[in-house]
Amino acid sequence: MSKLGTPVKLDIASEEFRMNSKEVREARDAHWYAETDWGIAVLSYEDNTHLLHSPYMGQGSAKWPRQHGVSSGQFHEWWSQNLLVLEGDDHHRIRRLVNPAFSRRKVRAMEPKFEELARELIGSWIHRGEVDFASEFASPYATRILCMMLGIDESDWHHIQELASTIGLGLGVHVGDHIASIDAAVNELTVYAEGLITEREAAPTDDLLGTLLGANREDDRSLSRQELVNIVILLIFAGIDTTRHQLSLSIDSFQKQPDQWDKLARHPYHYAERAVEEALRVNPIGRWVTREATESFQHRERWIEEGTTVHLYTLTGGTDPAEFNNPCDIDLDAERSPHFAFGGGVHHCLGHFVARTDIGVALAALAGRITNVRVGADTDWLPDSGNTGASYMPITFERRNSVE
Amino acid sequence: MRIDVNMSKCQNHGQCAISAPGHFWFDEEGRLSYRSEFTRDFLDDVEDAMDACPMQAITVVDDE
Repeated sequence: MSKLGTPVKLDIASEEFRMNSKEVREARDAHWYAETDWGIAVLSYEDNTHLLHSPYMGQGSAKWPRQHGVSSGQFHEWWSQNLLVLEGDDHHRIRRLVNPAFSRRKVRAMEPKFEELARELIGSWIHRGEVDFASEFASPYATRILCMMLGIDESDWHHIQELASTIGLGLGVHVGDHIASIDAAVNELTVYAEGLITEREAAPTDDLLGTLLGANREDDRSLSRQELVNIVILLIFAGIDTTRHQLSLSIDSFQKQPDQWDKLARHPYHYAERAVEEALRVNPIGRWVTREATESFQHRERWIEEGTTVHLYTLTGGTDPAEFNNPCDIDLDAERSPHFAFGGGVHHCLGHFVARTDIGVALAALAGRITNVRVGADTDWLPDSGNTGASYMPITFERRNSVE
Repeated sequence: MRIDVNMSKCQNHGQCAISAPGHFWFDEEGRLSYRSEFTRDFLDDVEDAMDACPMQAITVVDDE
């Protein structure tokens, strides 16, 4: 595929910037990439999937705190040792030990608990006909599932979610302004994680943390205590805000396509998985996957210098008309090429089976109970870059009486 | 015992090569390669690879 235009410049830091906009679609029509203040934005599906697996690309987040003036402290220490940024043998040894705790089989065993939680939350507001979906479903659902998996008392969920969001500020452009509270949150979670690990050592369990504690091959490759603590913090950091925002984004997409929502309600077991995949394709929480050129290389007509930041645009690639029919529509019956909302390669999202399963359970439970969903115009959307979502999302709905 | 990979599902993420490096690896073009025959001694590693595959493209066939 060759395109005749020249790459445009996208102002992704602007408050008006929207991924799903004419501006970005025209940029994708013009060229496979656009220039931005933060490196190259790859727009086409074909180039995104190719570069996702390029041997010349590594993950691009390791330097983030340092690039933003943070070169010491608890957050910096934790960040530089976490699985997201480690490479090579260190990464592979830890990843190999933790992967089995996140297998589809392990996650599927938790489905009844996810369903019970979804029903409980929906039941607490369904009589009202309106609800702030963000704070009364998405947040407690995502956070309480994480608490469940780690064996944290679910009544602590609100505080755990606040700590997760505070650490999340570490990946924002204003990390320097918030670093004192971010460091304090890492510190608090470190103490918390050490407590959980000590409890589990005394009384072993077969939950996720128990599986991680048992991740001892009979050789010298087992997880150290510090590595376990780092993983627990990573799960809280990476497992809460992602899921809760993806739930809100999914509802926002489905409200535009009530026929697909009703189809999901009629056949929840058949369509739940497809519903999650389609929502991730057209409206992913992670608007881009960050990569960095580990050596200089040629891609098409463009010479990419070592150290260049390359953002792989998930929504833009996932809705590329060159790859998908009716690309912006959710179609639960369509055969779709794989999206890359969970990244790819050795850094592919560790918890994707958890996210896929718990979001699927939630969407099926919601579709079965509520219909004519409308998202309020006063929804408080986060910036449409990096990781997005809604911090406040009022919805109105009708109770679904029966499903034919 | 035998490994079967559905190559039309495989997206070259390489989680299998992390779990069972002796049985899955990338060739020079960055494409996944694998050794289909294996012995029961390596079953744990190969099952970890099967579980870790994000696309669930790996199956293990016990033909012994």
